[in-house]
Amino acid sequence: MTELAIIAEDLTYAYGQLMAVDHISFDVAEGEILGFLGPNGAGKSTTVKMLTGQLLPKAGRATLLGIDVARHPKQVQAQIGVCFEVANLYETMSGIDNLELFASLFGVRDFNAEALLKRVGLDGRGKDKVSGYSKGLKQRLMVARALVNRPQILFLDEPTEGLDPTSAQAIRSLILEEQARGATIFLTTHDMHEADMLCQRVAFIDRGKIVALDTPHTLKQQYGKRTIRAEVLGDDGHLQTREIILDRQETPAEIEALFRDAEVVTIHSEEATLESIFIQLTGRELI
Amino acid sequence: MNARMISALIGKDLKLYFSNRLFALVTVLGLVSYTAIYFLMPATVDETLELGLYMANVPAPLEALLAESDLRFYRADSIDALQQAVLEGDVPAGYAFPDDLLVQLSRGEQVSVQLLLSPNVPLEFVEIYEVILREFAFVISGQTLDIEMNEIVLGPDMAGRQVAPRQRMLPLLAVLVLMVECLGLASLIAAEVEAGTIQALLITPLTMVGLFLGKGVFGTLFAFVQSALLITITGGLLHQPLLILTALLFGSAMVTGVAFLIASTGRDLMSVMGWGVLAVILLVLPTFNVLMPGLASNWIKLIPSHYLVDTIYRAMNLELPWMDATQNLVLLLIYAAALMALGVVMLKRKLR
Repeated sequence: MTELAIIAEDLTYAYGQLMAVDHISFDVAEGEILGFLGPNGAGKSTTVKMLTGQLLPKAGRATLLGIDVARHPKQVQAQIGVCFEVANLYETMSGIDNLELFASLFGVRDFNAEALLKRVGLDGRGKDKVSGYSKGLKQRLMVARALVNRPQILFLDEPTEGLDPTSAQAIRSLILEEQARGATIFLTTHDMHEADMLCQRVAFIDRGKIVALDTPHTLKQQYGKRTIRAEVLGDDGHLQTREIILDRQETPAEIEALFRDAEVVTIHSEEATLESIFIQLTGRELI
Repeated sequence: MNARMISALIGKDLKLYFSNRLFALVTVLGLVSYTAIYFLMPATVDETLELGLYMANVPAPLEALLAESDLRFYRADSIDALQQAVLEGDVPAGYAFPDDLLVQLSRGEQVSVQLLLSPNVPLEFVEIYEVILREFAFVISGQTLDIEMNEIVLGPDMAGRQVAPRQRMLPLLAVLVLMVECLGLASLIAAEVEAGTIQALLITPLTMVGLFLGKGVFGTLFAFVQSALLITITGGLLHQPLLILTALLFGSAMVTGVAFLIASTGRDLMSVMGWGVLAVILLVLPTFNVLMPGLASNWIKLIPSHYLVDTIYRAMNLELPWMDATQNLVLLLIYAAALMALGVVMLKRKLR
């Protein structure tokens, strides 16, 4: 039986009158990547802060690796890694100094900063001051810092936001490597494509509440439509778009008619995206 | 929380401090310039009091008195020459007696003597010059009172070895060194809060107590080492070194508490400097009481740095014994602990 790495029970937090997280419950299995998706202000960061012991819930309970976070935050924090959304590195120190500082705080013996820097693609830049790094390099260092203690649970808050494709891909590969090592990953993002690629399950959070939580495949099956989209040459010589919804009784006849009655220029199948499902569920976009 | 964590934090703060060119420059330049200022200031005090005198014929009894006196007299050839000497600041005051002094005295007439004063002579000194003139009058008229005066100095006898201006300035320089470090530490903490790096530190096994312990030890030791270095270079540890170092250590802890308070109110370097300058002015005030004794009233004892300044000044110059310093040290320690606790509480609130 799979052990649960994260259990959130009825977690609640309010900033004054504003309910930021409204009695949410979920769990994450060991070794799973859970995508936590929602627009800005949906309650993602507040949830992460409660899970990582930075905020005390107003109600409910968070348990990580069987430890009550509110009661023993330091015990939990010793076993997790957190990559913040905004780069909060010591800019006037080198990359190696940054990592070694956190290794000391985590009590890591025989820490090899160079090896970790190599893993995140920063080999050769370790002795440079962080202030000279590009945004992508800083983000890689942030991820490296979160890995210093070989965490059992890794919290990543928008780890690829605003990065160039190469840096974003490097970080995605690292996430998968960490999962392969056995780490549980809590990925906060509003990049639906990324969530679809990496996550075993995704949770949609909106206005402090979880509106859906399942595998991307199940969500698409449950809420989305599979279609065929074709471009055909019309009588006036212009291209026209035709859409046929799949998985219905009349679908084969409609496809046959399409090829019989018109000159098909392009044709491809389309699946529902997580983004369209989110809009369908919440009535708003992931911005 | 363990020693490795604390030493990692201290090492990090040292790196951050010296990677800031402004702090590094101010620290090194401050130490060098304070030392230079100290050695440029006069090392001795000229205790002689010189007065001007114009008297056409000095009577024998007065001549004898002048010869015996520790006062030094500039004998002017004319009233004009005496006026010139006072005007040019050669002497602070001068007595101009009339040419027919003895004739007037023999006739029993009232003699009019001019007391010439330079503009910056304090009122108390004018009265002293008047007393001296009366003494002259007694001697000239042969009516000297038969009084034997016994001088009893309460405390160390500083006659002939008055505290030199640079020794009076040393507490000011020491407090300035402490305050520069105080502002540096406050800026460092404010910058860490603003950049969110403290948030990253606190999501490790490091506790809030450990964080403040690291900052407190760094701030106190850094300020202490520099102020002790200044006092050592300037020869301030020749007397009562242990007492002076103890006072400096407590003073360093006190300014570290002040740094926590400033950091809890400021968001960036400018706001830290704004609050910091206010703290500097307040904590430097007691040093003026040493530079110019009698300047301040008893309220100066409400300022925590008074107990640091008073202890190191008296230990360096007035042979202050440990017993007499105990009250100062206890009060300094209480102030240091109170400011540190208040600073921690305020900063903790900001971090949360």
